[in-house]
Amino acid sequence: MELIYWWLPLLWLVIIGGVIGLSLWLGARRRERARSLAVPVAHSERLTQLPAYRSALRRYRAALVGSAVVLSLVLLAAVVMSSRLVSITSYQPEMRNRDIVLCLDVSGSMIDYDAAIVRTFRDLVDEFDGERIGLVLFNASAVTYFPLTSDYRFVREQLDYLENDLSSPLSDYEFINGTLLGEGSSLIGDGLGSCVMRFDDLESERSRSVILATDNYVAGEPILTLPEAGQFARERNVRVYGINPGDVSSKDYIAGYAREMERVVRGTDGGYFALEDPSAIPSIVDGIEAQQTTLLTGEPVLVRTDEPIVPFLLSLFGTGLLMYFGWRLKR
Amino acid sequence: MDELLHRVKTRLAIRAHRKVRGMLDGEYVSLFHGKSLDFDDLRAYAPGDDVKDIDWKATARVGSPLTKRYIATRKHAVLLIADTGRDFAALSTGGNPKRDIATLAAGVIGYLAVRHGDHVGLVAGDENGTEYVPLRGTESHLERLLAVIQNRTTLSAGASRLAAQLDYVRRTFRRRMLLVVLADDGAMSADRDDDLRLLRRLHAQHEILWITIGDADPTLEEYADSTLIDVADGRELPPFLRRDAALREDFAAAVATRTRASADLLEKIGITSIRLTSEDTVIPGLFRLLEVHNHARR
Repeated sequence: MELIYWWLPLLWLVIIGGVIGLSLWLGARRRERARSLAVPVAHSERLTQLPAYRSALRRYRAALVGSAVVLSLVLLAAVVMSSRLVSITSYQPEMRNRDIVLCLDVSGSMIDYDAAIVRTFRDLVDEFDGERIGLVLFNASAVTYFPLTSDYRFVREQLDYLENDLSSPLSDYEFINGTLLGEGSSLIGDGLGSCVMRFDDLESERSRSVILATDNYVAGEPILTLPEAGQFARERNVRVYGINPGDVSSKDYIAGYAREMERVVRGTDGGYFALEDPSAIPSIVDGIEAQQTTLLTGEPVLVRTDEPIVPFLLSLFGTGLLMYFGWRLKR
Repeated sequence: MDELLHRVKTRLAIRAHRKVRGMLDGEYVSLFHGKSLDFDDLRAYAPGDDVKDIDWKATARVGSPLTKRYIATRKHAVLLIADTGRDFAALSTGGNPKRDIATLAAGVIGYLAVRHGDHVGLVAGDENGTEYVPLRGTESHLERLLAVIQNRTTLSAGASRLAAQLDYVRRTFRRRMLLVVLADDGAMSADRDDDLRLLRRLHAQHEILWITIGDADPTLEEYADSTLIDVADGRELPPFLRRDAALREDFAAAVATRTRASADLLEKIGITSIRLTSEDTVIPGLFRLLEVHNHARR
């Protein structure tokens, strides 16, 4: 709470003091003049001793005191209002201009994890506001399942559908269509490169990140190696978050791929998450979200909000009361 | 010079009062018990004359009632006791200062007395002091008395304390006189035992005519826009309260009660009193006062 025009109360003080002084002076002068024209009366105690007079006087005094109190409250409210009482809140503006591309390796080893990631994103979409999300599936070649969009209803539909496809025992693996058109399979570098290329509107200042779920087990001849794809991502200012279910002791034989992936991912300022259990995915995605959020909050901004409600109501009711008291006094 | 007395005479000469004036004469004469037996002459009967004084034989001869007049063995003394404190500079019920009514009433009685060859004196004052103007029987002296009442009674005079003047009379005079007390609504109150004793004491020695001059009603409509000041302490009477209709009624009732109470009190002592509220009521009022007084005594 703070006053914007902090000097105004001082001005008010001077003005109120001046008005009081002037009215006292004028009142004294008027009273003096009235006194010279006054009508002399004797034995006014005949009137002033009457109980009715005394109670009327009491009521009058009460009304006077009441109006004095109300008047000072109204004045106080006026002072506060004119000095612009503001409440100060600092807030960290969160940039809602993120683009996230989910980059899912749909090779056989990854299906379980993909389902968990998709499920988590479907839940996350409810909290999105302004972010765009896109989904790319890749194996030998990359397919845009849906492009970057903030049409969350559509996104939810697509994710539901995909999740069903990934996890249903009756699934026809429809999503695989178009992902096997390369030299071999699991061409991770090509996949990441394709995902990085899904970002549009490159001139505008947006945060771009790729969530890359893969075990980095390459079986074929990729056009881009993973480090090249990482370089490409860095050039485009895209952060890559890696989720690697292969980086576990039971799959030690692909440890070299995991190391490589971690290096590449860290090279883009992203994060690397090794995991064994698909149920850990939600917490990881949340973690990525949170990291993004802290990365993307701007300078804390001081916001000063006018708070005129209380003094306004006070002066409103006070003025009403004053009119009532005035009526009582004039009556 | 004769300004004040002239006003009195003018008042008495008003057509409506002319008849009263003759009757006033009669009532005035009857005030005094002590008649000498020296017959002077006969004059036409005026209402109020003592029936005992009617010369029945002469009346039978002439056909209209004639009253015997006697030569007074000595001059009667009429002592005006006026409160000239600042209370009397305040307004009367009728709207002009109580002082004016007091002067007029004193003038009428004094004039009757002077015309009858009696002496008129004045005891006037306030809490600060009492002034005595000795008894004389001339009109110019009466004028001087009235001037004393007029001039002493100002807003800057001391507060009223009629008891002081009454006590002065008690201490000073041993002769039997007709006391004409010019008081106001505040002078009599049943709870002042000393005053009552003093009045009883004076009543035992003198004839007393008590003239109360009614105080102004501060709740009146015509004062609604003016500042009213209590002369006692100079305090203003707040105008807002004077507009209260209920209060106005209460006040009227209280004044009536108070007036009746003080009249009753005086009557209990044996003093005839009248309450005058305006200059117009002075002459009829005084006539009624004398009449009541004479009848009460007989």
